[in-house]
Amino acid sequence: MAKKKKVSWFWTWVIGSVVLRLILIYFPENLNLSSRPEVSTPLTSLRRLAEGYWLKQLSVSPYAGSMYHGSPLLLTLLGPLTVKRIEGQPDHLLCSLVFVIADVVSAMLICAAGGKLQVAYSSSLQLLGLRDLSENSELLPSGDFAALVYLWNPFTIVACVGLSTSAVENLMIVLSLYGACSGLAPLAAFGWVMATHLSLYPAILIIPLILLLGYGPDAPPRKLFWQRNSLEVGTSSDICSEEKAKNQLKVADVFSWRPVVSFLLWTLLWSSYILVLCSIYVQQYGGLQELFKRTYGFILTIQDLSPNIGVLWYFFAEVFDFFRNFFLIVFHGNILLMLAPLALRLNHRPCFLAFVYIVISSMLKSYPSVGDSALYLGLLGLFAYELKDMQFSFFLLSGYVGVSLLSPVMHNLWIWRGTGNANFYFATAIAYACLQIILVVESVSAMLNHDRTLTKLCAAKAPPSMVAGISSSDYQNILLNAAPFFTPLLLPLHFPPPFPDLTILSLNLSKT
Amino acid sequence: MGANENSSAKPRVRPIVRIGIFLISHSNIVSLICFLAGVLALLLLPVLAKNTYISENALMPGSANNMLSTHQVSDASKFIKDLTDLEFRSTTSPIESQKLIAQYMSALDAEVTFHKFYPQFSQFHPPHFFTSSDSGLIAENGTCSSFGINTIGIIRAPRGDGKEAIVLVTPYNPNKVGLGEAVSLGIAYSVFSLLSHVTWLAKDIVWLVADSQYGEYPAVAAWLREYQAPVFHRVDEINRETCNASTTFNELGQGLYLDGKLNSDFRRAGTMAAALVIKVAEQGNQYEDSLNIYAEASNGQMPNLDLINIVNYLAVHKQGLRIKVKKMWSLLDSRWLNALGVIFESLGKIARSLNPQWKFGIPATEYVEGAATLASSLYYQGLGVPTGPHGAFRDYQVDAITLEISPKVSLTKVIRRDEFILRGGRLIEGVIRSINNLLEKFHQSFFLYLLTSPSKFVSVGVYMIPFALLVAPLPILAAYLHANASNSTPQIPSASEVDVRHKSWKWLNSARKVLVTHLWGVVVSLLPLVLCRIPNTTLTLNFVLWGLLSAFSLLILYLILGCPIFEAAGSQHEKNKWASLKSVTISTTFIGLSLMSVINFATAEIGALLIVPICLLARPLKLDIQARSWRTLLRASCNIALGFVVFPPISFVLLTGAFEDFYGINVGDYWNWVESLWAWNSATYLYVGVVHLPCWALCIHILFHPC
Repeated sequence: MAKKKKVSWFWTWVIGSVVLRLILIYFPENLNLSSRPEVSTPLTSLRRLAEGYWLKQLSVSPYAGSMYHGSPLLLTLLGPLTVKRIEGQPDHLLCSLVFVIADVVSAMLICAAGGKLQVAYSSSLQLLGLRDLSENSELLPSGDFAALVYLWNPFTIVACVGLSTSAVENLMIVLSLYGACSGLAPLAAFGWVMATHLSLYPAILIIPLILLLGYGPDAPPRKLFWQRNSLEVGTSSDICSEEKAKNQLKVADVFSWRPVVSFLLWTLLWSSYILVLCSIYVQQYGGLQELFKRTYGFILTIQDLSPNIGVLWYFFAEVFDFFRNFFLIVFHGNILLMLAPLALRLNHRPCFLAFVYIVISSMLKSYPSVGDSALYLGLLGLFAYELKDMQFSFFLLSGYVGVSLLSPVMHNLWIWRGTGNANFYFATAIAYACLQIILVVESVSAMLNHDRTLTKLCAAKAPPSMVAGISSSDYQNILLNAAPFFTPLLLPLHFPPPFPDLTILSLNLSKT
Repeated sequence: MGANENSSAKPRVRPIVRIGIFLISHSNIVSLICFLAGVLALLLLPVLAKNTYISENALMPGSANNMLSTHQVSDASKFIKDLTDLEFRSTTSPIESQKLIAQYMSALDAEVTFHKFYPQFSQFHPPHFFTSSDSGLIAENGTCSSFGINTIGIIRAPRGDGKEAIVLVTPYNPNKVGLGEAVSLGIAYSVFSLLSHVTWLAKDIVWLVADSQYGEYPAVAAWLREYQAPVFHRVDEINRETCNASTTFNELGQGLYLDGKLNSDFRRAGTMAAALVIKVAEQGNQYEDSLNIYAEASNGQMPNLDLINIVNYLAVHKQGLRIKVKKMWSLLDSRWLNALGVIFESLGKIARSLNPQWKFGIPATEYVEGAATLASSLYYQGLGVPTGPHGAFRDYQVDAITLEISPKVSLTKVIRRDEFILRGGRLIEGVIRSINNLLEKFHQSFFLYLLTSPSKFVSVGVYMIPFALLVAPLPILAAYLHANASNSTPQIPSASEVDVRHKSWKWLNSARKVLVTHLWGVVVSLLPLVLCRIPNTTLTLNFVLWGLLSAFSLLILYLILGCPIFEAAGSQHEKNKWASLKSVTISTTFIGLSLMSVINFATAEIGALLIVPICLLARPLKLDIQARSWRTLLRASCNIALGFVVFPPISFVLLTGAFEDFYGINVGDYWNWVESLWAWNSATYLYVGVVHLPCWALCIHILFHPC
């Protein structure tokens, strides 16, 4: 009964968000969102897409000039919709509807993926014998929660109403994650290939996707299963339970190659398929080489320095030309540098790893928009249970609210009033990047803390002799020292050291 | 997040972290000190004001001799005489004077055009703040019969490339040409006739005779809109077909024999470097010729300080005019301000006796004058309503000021008047010559400043300090309350170690409350949009309706979003709820104030003075009364008093009472004030509705919190 009530609430909220979007779509002139630099970047702007479509209709290369830099597939999908007008309705109504549908589908996929993650997680907690914990984790339906966070996030709404194609890109990323969560290799491969094709940066998600397919969804650290396993083997005498324990070991720790290989094969298939489609589309206009130059080349070489909420435009407007290539390598290498340490550290939680990758890439990508933040904030909801002890949550929320309000004001001051300058706007971009860093550092450390708690609880259940080997101090130290992995992130931006720890603060407070 | 782990890691705390912890743990005393320091710094601003200086080297004011001579002045005198004679003739229609002006302009070889406009009555457009100019805004209620005609004369610069222009504006009412307006036209004419044959001119000169029968601002704004952002499917195209009111306009064109110099289309002259609005007061002060400068544009924007500097320099050093800016006259003879001035003066003397290098402190009278000017500067910037037609220019990033020249004696004496025109004309000529030297647009000097006298200013770097001190306690106190609320959670006895559920997310419930209250603020500030559509209402009735609807909407929002399904999560820790609510309230206030300080500093400063004390002090009255010590009772009474004062209508009444007088204030005045704010697209309106009012409501909610 209660569950039914909850489900109906969930659908009410989903419908409410759709209605809100539809209402906002009817006031496009008043809001003027599609021309905001926060919403539409050179890659995601629908106006540019419409321009590309017109060029194509005039038998000119859609990439002529420097207007359109997106995928040809998007052009065939959305292009016809940009020119179709319905009398008495706002322009681009059909495109807006496509984006609304994309948002809703993404939310549903997040919801489904969250459900799968939750089931898997509580069953693996039960395997570890932490029954009350697993019941606890089921209290909050994190899938529904994440879906609602995604749908009601102002960033998502703004990106959707502002006609940014990032809704479609997000859909592809979520599709691949969902496919991997539910073990559907072809779907995951399709999502990944499409997402990479549309915006390049999701390419790094191949690592979490492979881990997800190989190891299964997020679980507590694998060491705990070994420990539990050996514990069961050691204490139990009858053969039946030994069998069971061996099964558990299999479930927990076997990297299954079959889905991974099929994922890779499907990836090959899908990508060749998409390449063939693209080459057919652009064969008169310079072929695939031109396409790569105009899309991926444009992303990687950061040719458009118009202001956005990222930090790169300012930096590359300032940098000397002969250093440009060097810094291009440094900034893109920064993302790649992060991959390996994080993958090693978080390999038992591939979904969370994917979330961290998405945050990092949306922070350091060349043309970020609020659509990227919308995606990772939605995914953050998936880990609501694990991150319940996250620090600075209030600070982060206030920061996001403050920055997202301040940024348009600074832009207005610079561009329209002429009393400010580029530094005003860039300052908000820096603050935004800082917030994202704090978010990623805090969420990862909260997740590691959660792991630590699990270790401790498992240790409490095991006899002391067994525990000594595992939960020794060096293991904890390794966990504690995970945070410095993020220092390379801070280096290029000259950020101050991380913020005071609130727990220390509260200790001091209780003394006074 | 066990406490024992962190205690082992405690010795390695960085110094900066330790300072932060120290500040937060002593937040009470820190916030008191910060607040007092902020108020003190605000009072010190007149002392800290610096002398203005001309920052842009290219301007070179006063380096050339004035060329304006009695020849031009006598021409201007003739022009004034013709214009005023027209008034006495009984059978003239208003357009006769426009014809006359156009004839005089074209006699100087200027390009003459007329610009017909429909006055736009102000509408309610809050979202238009972020979008630059309201070019899409079309007058819906402009009727055929009411239109104005601006007369524009353009002199092309012999040395220019036609890409830059300087604008002279003289507002005048063709239906009733007063002597002051006629003289201001005469001054502009004398300058215009000089500039029509000088060789040094590098920027085109545009002389806009704005038809002020529907107000000065709408006329200038309409011309600027046409100049900067023409809309091609305009209303008058439609009107031309539907009504024949434009016949007089056509007649105006045909009736003139201007040898083909009258241009029927709209003429432009490049980007505007600066604009000067010239006005002449009919009767000035009795002692000397003086010059009033008005500079505030919409939302507290100011023209570049260099423009004021040139005018100030030329008026004082070349023409010997006494220069004035607006003052709060009521502050001049306030006793406490005088006492404060004396204290600062004596402090300055002591400082100088200790070290002659310390040039601190100014005479008490100067302090009081500076404070009165500063207060008016803050007030008019904070209001966000332009103080004259120059405000229209700032919306297009053109620096503009209004110069109101008031003569010593009556202007009816011709000889005195000629002398007056010569002085005024030379001033304008000097300013134009100086601007003419500019190579780029004004950018050297300050845009963000407050004036304490025509030759003294407080720059943004200085006046931000009091504001920063005022709002600094907010995040500190919020952090303290937040840490306290999440720390002193009563441990549920049965719970295991992991069961301290959602420890760091407990504030979400308070955040929801705050969000709902701010949503209510948005609703309240949108209500007048509906209310002003109701016909036949009085101001008081409107105000009462507004109040009732606001209360009603608060009730509805409370019922919708306060229903138990949301309450379920965090109902256990009722005791600390008010603390977490206060912490969220304070943080949103901080965000709102910081945001407003970027949009319109003066509003944020005044708003901070009002809202910060109650934000810091608010505490449930029940707790204070239960404690029964004199300190808590004092705090409770302070809270109640502040709660009254901060309520927007009451603070409005108190402020107007303080600056003007209490006589004749009624509740309708508040509605009037609000109406003027939204009519001018003032961000102050949004601030009051979306930040101030919800914060006040939340503070009141905390005061009456059942803890």
